[in-house]
Amino acid sequence: MNAGQIPTSEKRRMGHSTVKRMADWRVRLRSSAGMQKGRMLIFGRHFNDGWLFKLAIYIILSAAALLYLNPVVYMLTTSLKQGTDLVNPMIQWIPSKLEWSNYASAIIGLHYWKSIVQTGWISIAASFLQMGSCAIAGYAFARMKIPGKSIFFFIVLMTFLIPPQTLSIPLYVLYSKLGWLNTPLPLLIPGLFAQGLKGAIFIIIFRQFFATLPKELEESARMDGAGPLKTFWRIMLPLARPALLIVFLFSFVWHWNDYYEPALYLKNGDFTLLAQSMQFLQGNLNAAAATGSSMGGSYFSLNESITMAAAFLIVAPPLILYMFAQRYFVEGIERTGIVE
Amino acid sequence: MSRMNMGSVMTKQDHARQKRLQSFKDALRGYLFLLPWMLGIVMFVAYPLIYSFFISFQKVGVKNDGSGLKYDFVGMDNYKHAFVVDNVFPVEMFLFMREVMLVVPITVLFALLISILLNQKFKGRMLFRAVFFLPVIFASGQVLLELFNQGQGTLPLVERYNLADVIYDVLPITAAGTVMDLLGKFVIILWFSGVQIILFLAAFQTVPRTTYEAAQIDGATPWESFWKITFPAISPFIILNLIYTLVEQSSNPFNPVLSHILKNTTDANTGYGYASALGWIYFAFMMLPILVLVFIARRQSKRTGVTR
Repeated sequence: MNAGQIPTSEKRRMGHSTVKRMADWRVRLRSSAGMQKGRMLIFGRHFNDGWLFKLAIYIILSAAALLYLNPVVYMLTTSLKQGTDLVNPMIQWIPSKLEWSNYASAIIGLHYWKSIVQTGWISIAASFLQMGSCAIAGYAFARMKIPGKSIFFFIVLMTFLIPPQTLSIPLYVLYSKLGWLNTPLPLLIPGLFAQGLKGAIFIIIFRQFFATLPKELEESARMDGAGPLKTFWRIMLPLARPALLIVFLFSFVWHWNDYYEPALYLKNGDFTLLAQSMQFLQGNLNAAAATGSSMGGSYFSLNESITMAAAFLIVAPPLILYMFAQRYFVEGIERTGIVE
Repeated sequence: MSRMNMGSVMTKQDHARQKRLQSFKDALRGYLFLLPWMLGIVMFVAYPLIYSFFISFQKVGVKNDGSGLKYDFVGMDNYKHAFVVDNVFPVEMFLFMREVMLVVPITVLFALLISILLNQKFKGRMLFRAVFFLPVIFASGQVLLELFNQGQGTLPLVERYNLADVIYDVLPITAAGTVMDLLGKFVIILWFSGVQIILFLAAFQTVPRTTYEAAQIDGATPWESFWKITFPAISPFIILNLIYTLVEQSSNPFNPVLSHILKNTTDANTGYGYASALGWIYFAFMMLPILVLVFIARRQSKRTGVTR
C-alpha cells in the first residue's frame, strides 16, 4: 500500500533524477490502481460488495420498506385530517389543517386513560409471570436429568401447534365455572404455569439459551453446596438476563396486542383492554355526546380520522417501547441462540 | 449419608445404589422444576382438549332450570352436520385452506428474500431491520382490521394501474378472484413476515464466515456459494418458518373459519358441542400440512445427519 512512500533520508541519498523517475512511476501506478479501485467500488471484488450491488439492495429494500410503512403513514396522516379532507380527492397524504381534536375524541371514545392503565398492568404482570415460569421450565428442559424429558418437550412443541382457538370453548366454560370471567385472571393465571400466549415459544427460547451456558457453572455451584433452586436463582437466572429481556419484551407486546382472549373473556365492559376497545368507540362517543348535550340518544358521527387516531393511540405505547428497545427485539433471537 | 460414604471405600453395590439414588434425586429435582409447567398443561391444555373432544360428540344445552349445562350424546352428528347441513363451514374451510396454501409460501419466500438482502453489509441495515420488524410490534387484531377496512392492505400500484381488469382478463374467474384477494391483502401478508425474517437472519449466522472465505478462494461465485453453502444450511429454517407461518395464519384475525366457529359457540341451536366439533375438524385440517412439513424436516435431518 505504501510502496510509493520513500523516507526523506533515502531521497537525499538518491540523485535528483532518480527521485523524479520514481515519482513518475508512482503516479502511473497510482492512476492504474485508481481505475482498478474504481471498478472494484462499482462492481465489487466478489460481486456482492460493489456499489452497483449496494444500490440494488437499497432500491429493493426501500421499496419494500415503503410498502411496510405505507399503512403506518396512512394511519398517522388520516388521524390528523378534518372531515372535509377525507372526502376531498385532492388531499391524499397531507391534511390541510392538523385536526388534533380527532385525538381528543378518540381518547374519550376509548376511555383511553383508564384502559391504558388496565392494559399496561395486565400486560406487564402477565409477561412477568410468563417470563418467570417459562424460564423455570426452559431451564429444566435444558439442564436437568428428567425421565421422559423428550416426551414432555414434544408436548411443548405440540402446544405451540395447537391453535389457541381450539381450546377456547372449554376454557371459557372452565373460567365461567371458576367465576373468572370479566376479571383479568384468565389472562394472568395461565402465564403463572408457563402457558398462556405463545408460552411454548418462550420455553423453547429459554431452553436454547440455557443449553448454551457452560455446564461447569452448575457443577461448581453444586460443589459449593448450593441446592438446585439456589443454583437456578442465584447463578443461572442472572446469566439469562438477555433471554429474560427478550421474552419479557415479546410477551409484553403480544399481550398488549392480543385481541382474541380479552374479547372472549372480558365481555361486560367494566374491564376492557385497549386491543378490544376499538369496537366500543362508537358507543362510548355516543354516550359522551349524550351526557354533554343533555339530549338523550344523540349520535356521534364517527369518521375514519377518529378511528385511525384511536388505532394509533392503541399501538403507540408498544411503538414507543420499540423505539427504545428496538435493538433487543431485532437482535434478540440471534443472541439468545434460539437458532442452533 | 452420601458424604459419609465418600471417605470409606465403596463396594460395587454401594456404588450402584448411590448412583440410583443420585439419579432418583435428579429426577425429583427435575420434576420439581417442571411442576408448574405440568400443572399448566393439565389445566389449560389437556383438560380443555379432552373436554372439547368429549363435547364434540354431545349436544350441549342449558339445563331447564338454568343451573348449568346439560349434555346429550349425539355421536358423530356434529361432525356430519359440519359437512352436510352447514353450508358455510365446508366452503369457508376450503377457501381458507386454498388461501393458506398461497399465503404461506409467499410469506416465507418474501422473508427469505428480504433477509438475504438484509444480511449483506451496507450502511443503515439496522434501520431497515427495524422497519421490517415493526409490524410484529403493532399488528394488533382490531387495528389491522381497521386498516384493512380502509383499504390499506392493498398494493398501491394495483389501484393506480387498474391491475384488477388485467388480471380478470388474463386469468379464469376463480383464479383471478383468488389472486385479487391476495393482492388485496398483500401488504398485510407481508406484515406477518417479521419474525420469519429475524429467524432467517439468525440462521445465516450459523454458517461460519470461514466457510464462505474458503469457497471464495476456491473460486466460487456468490451465487454458487449461496446455493451450495447457505441454502443447505438454512433449509431446516425454511421448514421451521413454513410451520411458524402456518401456525400464525391458523390463528390470524382475518380467519373466516375461526369467526364462523366463534359465531356457532354463541348460537343457541348449535352451541358448544357443534363449535367444538368444528374446532377439531379445523385443527385436523391445519395439522395436515404441518405434519407433512415435519416429516420432510425429519427426513432432511436424517439425510444430512443434523440433529435438531
